[in-house]
Amino acid sequence: MSHSPVETTRIRVTDLSFSYRKRAVLRNIHVDFADSTITALVGPSGAGKSTFLTTLNGLWQTIPEARLTGQVLIRLEGAFQDIYADGFSVSRLRRRVGMVFQTPNPLPMSIFRNIAFPLKLAGESRRDVIEPSVEAALRRAYLWEEVKDRLGDNALTLSGGQQQRLCIARALVLEPQVLLLDEPTSSLDETAGRVIEELMVCLKDRLTLLVVSHYLEQVKRIADRVMAFSNGSIERGG
Amino acid sequence: MTTMKSADRIIILFSWSGALVLTGALSAILGYVIFKGAGTLDLKLFFGDTAPLDALTLKRQVFDGLFPAILGTLCLVVLSVILAVPLGLATGIYLAEYAGGFAKKVFNLFFDILAGVPSIVVGLFGFALAVFLHRHVSREIGPCLLVSSLALALLVLPYIIRTTQTALEGLPADIRLTALALGATRLQNIRHVLLPRSLSGIMTGVILAVGRCAEDTAVILLTGAVAAAGVPRSLLGHYEALPFYIYYISSQYANPEQLLTGYGAALVLLVICLGLFAVTFVIKRRLSYNALYRA
Amino acid sequence: MSGLRERILESGFFLAAVASTAATLLIFGFMLVLGFPLLRSGLFVDLLTGAWAPAAGAYGIFPMVAGTLAISLLSLILAFPVSLGCAGFAAAIGPVWLSRPFRRMVQLMTGIPTVIYGFVGIFLLVPIVRGLHGGGSGLCVFSAALVLAVLISPTMVLFFSDSLDRVPKSYLDAADALGATPSQKLRLVMLPYAKEGILSGLILAFGRAVGDTMVALMIAGNAVQVPESVFDAARALTAHIALVIAADTESLEFKSIFVCGLVLYLFVGLMISGLRLLSALGHRR
Repeated sequence: MSHSPVETTRIRVTDLSFSYRKRAVLRNIHVDFADSTITALVGPSGAGKSTFLTTLNGLWQTIPEARLTGQVLIRLEGAFQDIYADGFSVSRLRRRVGMVFQTPNPLPMSIFRNIAFPLKLAGESRRDVIEPSVEAALRRAYLWEEVKDRLGDNALTLSGGQQQRLCIARALVLEPQVLLLDEPTSSLDETAGRVIEELMVCLKDRLTLLVVSHYLEQVKRIADRVMAFSNGSIERGG
Repeated sequence: MTTMKSADRIIILFSWSGALVLTGALSAILGYVIFKGAGTLDLKLFFGDTAPLDALTLKRQVFDGLFPAILGTLCLVVLSVILAVPLGLATGIYLAEYAGGFAKKVFNLFFDILAGVPSIVVGLFGFALAVFLHRHVSREIGPCLLVSSLALALLVLPYIIRTTQTALEGLPADIRLTALALGATRLQNIRHVLLPRSLSGIMTGVILAVGRCAEDTAVILLTGAVAAAGVPRSLLGHYEALPFYIYYISSQYANPEQLLTGYGAALVLLVICLGLFAVTFVIKRRLSYNALYRA
Repeated sequence: MSGLRERILESGFFLAAVASTAATLLIFGFMLVLGFPLLRSGLFVDLLTGAWAPAAGAYGIFPMVAGTLAISLLSLILAFPVSLGCAGFAAAIGPVWLSRPFRRMVQLMTGIPTVIYGFVGIFLLVPIVRGLHGGGSGLCVFSAALVLAVLISPTMVLFFSDSLDRVPKSYLDAADALGATPSQKLRLVMLPYAKEGILSGLILAFGRAVGDTMVALMIAGNAVQVPESVFDAARALTAHIALVIAADTESLEFKSIFVCGLVLYLFVGLMISGLRLLSALGHRR
């Protein structure tokens, strides 16, 4: 399923600075992210990688005493949108920009209901829309074959690797354009981690992925570009 | 073998004596109530000379039994909880999820004060409210079941607020973010994830409130509880209650038999309140187990 | 859920908080307004320090203030050592197989209705005190303070134990590694760390003792006099309210109970602010 990657910019970050409790965490970041690419974010702990991810889906707003300046444009539905413009709904943003966390966090409900949850939040209640979307998402996350006969089981009974794929499926069900992954394989064993890596490479087909990673081997295996963070600023890499 | 300094010896003596004294006091209280009250536990205690079935179906009045008082306490508790829980829950949610730093401190200060106000003062407020309503709204209103319930609701409101707030604030950070990252609004997050997760804490608060309403005497003393009113008939009428009965009997008993009914009532009230308390233990244990091992 | 419905619900939460606060203030307001005639016709300080003789037009609540202080302070003096000992037992000295059920027992004690303490006090304790003192009715400050001490101890014990438990594990590990016995650990590491928590617990227990009605009402004797000995009968502010409520609502005697309510409310306000100050000072360390 390879075709020449279309080099179109999906995300444009201009002069982004972020401070928490008056301490600067990110300084004057300028960067673009292209469609159908995987960009790895690397750097020492505390350099701002995970924080940077949260500036792209507005999750930084849940941190008290946090301040953000600068502009983030994301191409959604054809046109660039200033995601921090007045009136741009942050809920809507998070449906187009999905996030996967370091430790899998399935909700205490069945596998099916976990995946269907974002649809429910978005107001979708038609069974004939929900069921196919759930199956499609599980397929894209390489999980369908393993769970198709037990969709009603509690999600917490899955293994670590399966739970992480569940979270990826859940993030994919609304068909976002961007997927943010914060050290997605850190809490998994090597084999489970490899499966996730393969999955990510397949996903870049229709998505722009940003992955924070501490594993240089992993970065070499999957990344098209590397963004190195150091003390809140970036140094470009190839 | 090191020899212990005398300071350490004193501490050990102190701790053990303290524990023994308290245990002794508890045994004395429980023992006394059970000893004196157990013998009185029969149908006559509850229903007097009226047939139980007639009493339960409210066909006949009960004159010398605890049944009206028990029913009165029940109505009181139900009404107070209905009034206090929605208000307390909403306030707790506001404090945990919406209030900013300064607002939170100010509100918390007020609710700590409310929690500290002596119950007799809350009762006095209830009484004053009744008088106020009597003068300015309707001559029908006076100290009654409704006023007592309002006052009791006010009494237990801080419990509900506090346990709701603590339960919500105690949720781990990643739980809070999960639904938000999927596009949930704040309210959706509260409704679908945060509240269900906090349920055990909130339930504990509600049950503690129930216990508090069942045992309170000071508030109802001033707002409508009387010694003989029969089964509660209307919201605007006087009523009987178990703790009031115990208080009343302790000073107004005419003969030893009446005093014994006091012991019986004390035993019943004790069982009810301790039972409710035990339920909160079970809830706390059950729900933490569930959260980890739900299959 | 539409945006509008959501916003209405969210304002609802805010309104609930406002309503709860309003209720708190309303209590104060009622006390103030209804006690006002008395506050007007005599200075507040006079009321606080004057004697009670309604027939002579004197509505001083000093005897009741003295009664409350006597009963509460005595109960605190009796309860504090026992509670501290129990907390030490629960947190350090008691063997684990005993301290766990002990804590459960103490927690359960907080569920015992106050009126039952009063009831048992009258029929079990008072005769004993009567015999001990060789006279009088046994309904006095001492009996009330004793029962009140048992009433407030469980909450104090739990509060103290909590503070002792909060000592960081690293300090405890250090003490253990240096060979400290449990009682040394308690004395030299835990108690000093928990000092503030213990002080807060003490203040809260005092507040609870002052605010108690039933024990004082049923056991302290209710005589309007400044108690000279612990075996004298006395009347607490709280009991006074319960007793005078039956009086004529228009009389100044009746309005004195609102002044009592006001005093109690102000006391609570002061106590809570004091606690806030204490914790703020502690954090500055």
